[in-house]
Amino acid sequence: MALRVTKTNWRWLRRLQIAVAIGVMPSALTAPVPAEASEFHLSREFQVKAVFLYNFAQFVEWPPSAFDSPTSPLVIGVLGQDPFGNYLDEAVRGEKVNGHPLVVQRFRRVSDIRTCHILFVSGSEGPRAEQVAENLHGRSILTVCDWEGFARRGGIIRFVMEHSHVRLRINLDAAKDAGLTISSKLLRSAELVTGAQ
Amino acid sequence: MKFRDIPIRRKLTVVILLTSAAMLAFTCAAFFAYEFLTFRRATVQNLSTIGEIVAANSTAALAFDNPDDAREILGALQAQKHIVAAAIYNAQGGLFTKYPATLADSALPARPGPDGYQIGLEGLTSFQPVTHNDRRLGTLFLRSDMSEMRERFQLYGLIVLLVIVGSLLVAFVFSNLLQKRISQPILELAETARAISERRDFSVRAVKHGGDEIGRLTDAFNDMLGQIGEQNGALRESEARLQALNQQLEQRVQERTAQLEGANKELEAFSYSVSHDLRAPLRHIDGFASMLTAHAKGTLDEKARRYINVISESARRMGRLIDDLLSFSRHGRMPLKKIPVRLGNIVQEVLQQLQSETAGRTIEWRIATLPEVTGDVAMLHQVFANLLGNAVKYSRNRADATIEVGTLPGKDGEAVVFVRDNGAGFNPKYADRLFGVFQRLHSESEFEGTGVGLANVQRIIRRHGGRVWAEGEEGRGATFYFSLPCNPAETEGGTENT
Repeated sequence: MALRVTKTNWRWLRRLQIAVAIGVMPSALTAPVPAEASEFHLSREFQVKAVFLYNFAQFVEWPPSAFDSPTSPLVIGVLGQDPFGNYLDEAVRGEKVNGHPLVVQRFRRVSDIRTCHILFVSGSEGPRAEQVAENLHGRSILTVCDWEGFARRGGIIRFVMEHSHVRLRINLDAAKDAGLTISSKLLRSAELVTGAQ
Repeated sequence: MKFRDIPIRRKLTVVILLTSAAMLAFTCAAFFAYEFLTFRRATVQNLSTIGEIVAANSTAALAFDNPDDAREILGALQAQKHIVAAAIYNAQGGLFTKYPATLADSALPARPGPDGYQIGLEGLTSFQPVTHNDRRLGTLFLRSDMSEMRERFQLYGLIVLLVIVGSLLVAFVFSNLLQKRISQPILELAETARAISERRDFSVRAVKHGGDEIGRLTDAFNDMLGQIGEQNGALRESEARLQALNQQLEQRVQERTAQLEGANKELEAFSYSVSHDLRAPLRHIDGFASMLTAHAKGTLDEKARRYINVISESARRMGRLIDDLLSFSRHGRMPLKKIPVRLGNIVQEVLQQLQSETAGRTIEWRIATLPEVTGDVAMLHQVFANLLGNAVKYSRNRADATIEVGTLPGKDGEAVVFVRDNGAGFNPKYADRLFGVFQRLHSESEFEGTGVGLANVQRIIRRHGGRVWAEGEEGRGATFYFSLPCNPAETEGGTENT
């Protein structure tokens, strides 16, 4: 099938890869895990997370002040070391949400962040978690992380691995502080927490 | 039984019931069709609404790859009993989750079909897109069995059946009540017609129930009865008039007959007394002529004796004439003593009496077996005496005389007897004059006789209710016929020679 892929439905191929990754996961779990396979899994995991980051844009509403104009881009940022490779760029390429084109930006330091709507805080920021949290507090940024340290300090969504599935844990208080409205549908399929964890 | 032979009452009921049933059937069929279409549309609508809700709810589950959540969402379909299967496929067409959870994957389509719904044997199936912000995340599959529809239609069927049965019952009752208004006058009319034709009473009138066609028929019927009655009256009247006329006529005939009979009797009595009274002077003439001959025997010359002889002879002849006349008269007046008579016996008796005249002659007798009749023996004897005597007398100039007595088949209840000779015969021109009194076709000098014999025959036969007639030719003999009413005919006959 891949032979028939052309530039125009390149996005379709991307989703297929994700699906294949999801489908393979359970069988991979029951078998003894060789090192290469584990690495393969790791990359698949981030592939899924990249798509999730993109999907968040669909299920979260930002206050109008978060955008300069109705057509200004919706920025998905990655703070610290980028674990996604080019998956994230591929996931958002050419996509628009409510008229806002999606853009991926990578930030080395939290002080670099000007305009950002969804921010993945990489595990590499562990030592600076306190500083990052402080910096982002009160801004309409949907912060996402996959490590506990940041989630405890005000991160809104945390990716949790559960039986090799990526699950979501959402801190409603943090979202409220950020002035974000998360779709009830998204809340439905996530685990909800309140207050500092 | 054919429809045209059943009574009008039942015909009307059948017509009404059939009409009602047809109407009900059409109405129910229309109702069913409408319900079916409406229900199907409603079911489709319902399914698509449910599908839309489920699809909207399951977007996040698809987007964030959470089959458990999706399963939970589909689990809510439990409230919709008619939805028997549901499934969500992800954007790549893979089965994401299913409902009920225990359902085998093989019971579901392996891949999502085109969006839309389809009604098949398994029920209604639909594929609906799961989209979020115009982004297609997957496909929702729903299958609804038609059990709800079936149940509903079973209920409808039951209701329709009850309605039809109820309506037909009501229609039956109504038709029974209403048909009487139509059939009753017809039945009454028929009954009246039957009664009239049985009793021949044309004064009866049918009762009119209204101004409809049956009312008009009743009027026409009554008019017709009136006309028949009138004609009948006129017929009877003319019949009575005819009868009266007939009676009058009969009476007149009787009167005339009585008058005639009276006149006839008077005439006969007169002729009898005249004949009787004539005999006395004749005897004087004859007696005194004889006395004169005896007294003047010596003085009378030959010429005088001849004159006296002629006087005596004429007087005697006149006496015979008078005797015959008296006997003729007697035969007309004497009462008939009717008893069964064998004509053959009478013929034998007469032949015996004729022996003196047949002596020395050669006569061939051919006498057939004669029938038995009812009559007066003495008179019938007289008939044969006359006829056979004539036959012997008029055939005496023939050396080979043949006299035949036979019978012919006559009309019903009639015996015909004939006496045939080959003697002098007669001119057939005068055949009807033969039976008149003193009528003679031959001269006295040729064949003696008074001319009363055949008149006697005719009178006797007529008094027996028969007829006489004769056939003959001059020089070739004569045949005399007479017919008599007889008892059961015994007119068999061969020829017998004597």
